[in-house]
Parts: sequence; C-alpha cells; structure tokens
Amino acid sequence: MTSTSDPASGPRPHWVSQLGDARRGKFSGNLSAFGRALRRAGVPVDASRIALAQEALQCVGVAHKQDVGAALEAVLVSREQDRIVFREMFDAFFRDPELAHQLLARMVPRAAREAGPPRTRPRVRAALAPPTAGQPRAESDVELDAAMTASDLARLKEADFNRLTANEYALVQRLAQDVALPLPTVDGRRTCAGWRGPRVHWGRTLRAAARHGGDVMILHRLQRRPQPLPLLVLVDVSGSMERYARTLLAFLHASTRHVRAGGQTLPVNREVFAFGTELTYLGAAFRLADTDAMLLAAGDLIHDFAGGTRLGDCLVSLRRQYSRCLVGRRTIVLIVSDGLDTGEPEDLARELSWLKRRSRRVLWLNPLLRFDGYEPSARGAAVLHRMADAMLAVHNVSRLQELAGAIAALMKR
Amino acid sequence: MASAGASAAPAGLPPGLDSIDALMTALEARAYFADRRLATAVFLALRLGRPLLLEGEPGVGKTELAKALAGVLGRDLLRLQCFDGLEQREALYEWNYAAQLLHLRAADGRMPAGDLEQEVYQPRFLVRRPLLQALQAPAPGAVLLIDEVDRADEPFEAFLLEYLGEYQVSIPELGTVRATVAPVTLLTSNRTRELNDAVKRRCLYHWLDYPDRERELAIVRALVPQAPEALARQVAAFVQQLRTAPYDAHFQRAPGIAETVEWARALVALDTLVLDPEIVVDTAGILFKQRDDVAALDPALVSGALRSAEQAVA
Repeated sequence: MTSTSDPASGPRPHWVSQLGDARRGKFSGNLSAFGRALRRAGVPVDASRIALAQEALQCVGVAHKQDVGAALEAVLVSREQDRIVFREMFDAFFRDPELAHQLLARMVPRAAREAGPPRTRPRVRAALAPPTAGQPRAESDVELDAAMTASDLARLKEADFNRLTANEYALVQRLAQDVALPLPTVDGRRTCAGWRGPRVHWGRTLRAAARHGGDVMILHRLQRRPQPLPLLVLVDVSGSMERYARTLLAFLHASTRHVRAGGQTLPVNREVFAFGTELTYLGAAFRLADTDAMLLAAGDLIHDFAGGTRLGDCLVSLRRQYSRCLVGRRTIVLIVSDGLDTGEPEDLARELSWLKRRSRRVLWLNPLLRFDGYEPSARGAAVLHRMADAMLAVHNVSRLQELAGAIAALMKR
Repeated sequence: MASAGASAAPAGLPPGLDSIDALMTALEARAYFADRRLATAVFLALRLGRPLLLEGEPGVGKTELAKALAGVLGRDLLRLQCFDGLEQREALYEWNYAAQLLHLRAADGRMPAGDLEQEVYQPRFLVRRPLLQALQAPAPGAVLLIDEVDRADEPFEAFLLEYLGEYQVSIPELGTVRATVAPVTLLTSNRTRELNDAVKRRCLYHWLDYPDRERELAIVRALVPQAPEALARQVAAFVQQLRTAPYDAHFQRAPGIAETVEWARALVALDTLVLDPEIVVDTAGILFKQRDDVAALDPALVSGALRSAEQAVA
C-alpha cells in the first residue's frame, strides 16, 4: 500500500490549513464557501456539485495543491469561459479567503445592486398607475423609432438600453404576435411518422400488422421533419442607430423565438450579436424569456452603445471567435444597420464576402429606407448594398409585415 | 486504513491504476501524453463513475484519449459518432424489420395473433447500436465514446441525459436493459453550439488545450520515431509558434496535434533534415486545410516564425 498520498502523514503545506481538515468538519464548510464565491462570480455551481467536489477531493487527496485545483476544476467548471475565473478564484481563495471576498466585492457590481431597493419595471409601474384617457391605439404605421413613440422624456435623455415603457412593450408584443416572421424551414434529417414520404415506417407498420394476424393493411410512412434554418443576427448599436436598436432587438427577440411549420412550433437556433466599435455576443441575454430582462442584460453586456460603427472589424472578430456559429452554409444572416460605417470599405467588402460564402443569405435591414429617395451612397452603405442579397426596410409596422413576405420570396430564389 | 481515504479501487478499475501518476504512466505507454490536469479529470471520472465531457479545438486529441483509455483499461471502445439528425434507432437499437416480416409470413396461420406478436419481438430480431451495446458489454465493460455530441440536436441530448443518469434503457417490447458494468463514458464537443446545462451538470468537464512544446515533442517522438531528433524539435517549436501571437492572427485555424504529426511524417518522407522556409511553404497543405491559411503562410512569415522558434528552443 502506498502511503505517500496520505494527507495525514508528513508536514502539511501551509495552504492545506486554509482548506481545513475533513475530520474536523472545517473542510466542507470551506468548500461550500468556495462554491458560493464562485457562484457570485458568475460560475454556475450548485449544491450537488459541491457534494461531488468533496467526493473528488477524497479520491485525489489534498497533498498537492495542483491536483486539488485540477480536481475541483473538473467538477465545478463546465464552460470554457469559466476556467480563468475559476483559477484566479482558486488561487486567491486558498491563499486568503478574506482577500478573495474583498476582491469579489470589487469585482461583482451585481451584489451591490441587489442590496438596494428593488426597482420596479416601467411597465409594472404603468400597469399600477390609474388609466389615462385617450390612450392612442397602435396602428399599422406606428413608427419603430423609439424617439418618436416614447413619451417619457427622462428616458430619452438617458439614451441607453433601457427597459421598455408600457406602450413600447405592448407594441413589441403585438408585433411579435401579428407579424409572424415565417423564417424558412427545410426538410430536416430527422423523421417523424406520417402519411407521405419515401420511407416506410416499419415499426409502426409491423405493430399494426401484428394486430391483424400479420397482414399489412396500411403502410405507415416516415416523413422528414421541418427544421428552421439557423439565424445569425447582427444589430448595429452605434450612435446613428440608437433610436432603432432597442425596439428592433426587442422585436427580434420576441418574433424569432419559434417558427411554425407543418402544425408544429419549432425552436429557432439563433445567435445574436451587437456591433458598434466592437462585437458583443448577446446569446446569454437572448436566452432569457422575458423581453425586458433581455434588454437589461444586453445593456449590461454592450459597452460601446451609441458609439461609432466599425462593421469590418466586428466581422473579423466574428470570424476569429465565433465562426462556429455558421454551420454548413445554412445560416440566414440579418444585418440590422444604417450602413454608416467608419471603417475601411475594402476590409468590410472582404469580410462580407467571407460571411456570404459561409451563409445561405445575407439580408440587410436598413431603417434609413424610410426616407424617400434614399441612396446607399455612404462608403459602408455602398459596400453593404453591393454585397448583401437584399436591402429591406424595417422602420414601421407595415414594413415589418412586408419583411416577412420578402424573406420568404428571397429564400425561394 | 479507512482514515487514509478511499484506497481500494472501485469495481471496474484495474489494479495498478490507483493514482493519477499511475494513470499518466499507463496512458504514456499507449503513446498518449496527458498533462496532469487532464489525468486528474480522467482519474476522477473513473473513480466517481461520471461521464467526462471533453471540449477543445479540433485536433487536440479528444478522440485519441478515448482510444488510449480503452487500451489502458482493457475494455472495448464503442464509438457513437453524432450527426445532425441522429435518431434513437441509429444510436440505441432498431428492430430487424425485414427478418420480422419474413418470420411473420412463415408463422402465418399457425398461431393466434397475440402469440405472433410475442414471436417477432425476440432479442434475436434486435439490431443493437452503440449505446445499447455499451450496456450489454460483458465484463470488464466498455469505453463509450459519444463523439461530437454538439452535432446532434437537443432532443437527442435530452435522451442522453436519461441514459447517462441511469445507464439503463427500456425497450417497450422486451423490458428494461440495465448495464452489467457501467461503461466509462467520454463525450466530446467542438462547441458548434452550447450543450444543455443539465447534460453538463451530469458530467465532469475538461477543456483540452493545445499541448506545450515539451509534450508535443514527446508526441512527435513517439508517433514518428523515424524523425531525426533535431527535426522533431524544430517541428514542435515551429508549430508552437504558429499557435501563439503574433503568428496566430494570420490564420483562421491553428494546426492541431494531428496536423503536427502528419507534417512530421511528410517531412520524413521528403528526407528533410532541417526546416527551411521553402520546404515549409511547399508542405503548407498538411498544416492548414483552408486556402486562405495556406496562402497566408508566405516565406517571410515562415522565416520569422522559424527564427522565433529557434530562440524559444534556445
């Protein structure tokens, strides 16, 4: 029997005393404190993981700090992006837990915010307020321009990703319901039972046949299940777009969640990015079901709101970091932008041609098309116009309804 | 004895694999050079009986690990390659309908319908796919590799969740099949999409990085023994440079370990003794598989990287 891994024998390293001793019960307390610290730093750790971590430490022993770190990492981390946080936290925590807590207090503004009084959402406040006479009915030419629909002047001055006012919320909800964006579907490779289709559903046919003494009365078929095409959305959040970006994000969030096809509601595989001077991945925000929560989370993520536009550079970081989003030339890319780009047009053209090669369609949704006689003459706009498969208007409700038809027509081409 | 922690290996772990070091040595004997972090994760997966989810860039040795581990444990490797549209009948089991139909015809009229139904649902009409094979593998069990699980869709993940939790499946016509020996399960993902949190919670997780220079050199030495030592060193150092700044910015995808090994083999086949920019450019198609990347590897860049590689070695 090997006794070298026995933590009880031999001099104990200094840091083990921080971890505590399993036999005196300090060990598990420290481990769960470590788990809590990780959770506050945004690493998803739950109680069952902590219990598993305890088991893991009993397996590897606590004689080597490196092994303990590796073991805890294998158990507590489950995403690539959490590894750095974990390692820093591990080093800090087992050198000095107090220091780690101080670090954490500075690092995570979320903790401070939660301590404050809960803020009610504008639409909750609006719902509780007495009704005012003469509420304008939303009509089909309602502008999707935040500056024009909003009555709340204070909010306009903030010019930030804010929560929706009650009016805007109702508008977005109604839009999402009324304007079905019929995102195209293709016949997927998974199958389901049906009456048409080239393949026989032998299982079902035989089960039916066995009930009739082995006679095949009906041939059940396998038909291909419809599968929505994946969607990649790039939303411009630069200064010139700030009036549209919020409402359009909210609209896209609500309307591209599901697609109805063949009597089924299918979830859409969508990836959403915001771009201005830098590219921001909004996947985490878009996974939230509530549109308000999505906007709030997106606001926290986006650091370059109402700044400049460098679409070319942003596409470079898309290619470098997120090219896994574009699978097998199936993706439909929606670029929501006014095309007022300050980067080099050559770079933009090169990156756009890469994007085109990797996707099925690149559609440019341009709110500036509201102005009569608009010509995409700005440098970036000219490139976008040349490279995109189509330029579509998105500034009001009736245009959005047309958008649905336009996408369908484009896909048939 | 008991106070020293769990010292007895649990059932299914062969003797001699009771520490992380032993596992590392055993893997090395199979020409798999794991770093200590990875070895710890694998060791824990074995001891705790949890599946291990491996993520990392393509070509860092995720699949190879499963092969090496199967060799070390003396278990069969069962591999389920996931793809878009993978269904239960390709992953788990399917009835051999043609044989059943023939049997129905032959037995026609000789027995009542109820018996007939039982007659066609016998184990011999069952076509076993990898997930079922893994449950029914005789002792010492199997190593189950569920490769590129991100390519399958979410309903399959949900099914997998149940499978990985219980290691049992129920076949309506036959009853429940329970694992005799729970398989050692490895899942790999290339992160074309994020996996479901529930699946991740069930698994231990390890992100496989590219190896450091020493480890890559060891791999080249082990897999291309005919390469001269000086060349092997140069190859490892050069590829290492391509993966780090400032050179990595020129490429869409850095070469993986598989590419390094292939390249070393190619250089040996060309009787190369020392790397020079010309031979690197000529063989660029082995390191890079995209036209833009091959084009980016011009002589100026190569000689720069070769110089930095030499400095790094020195």
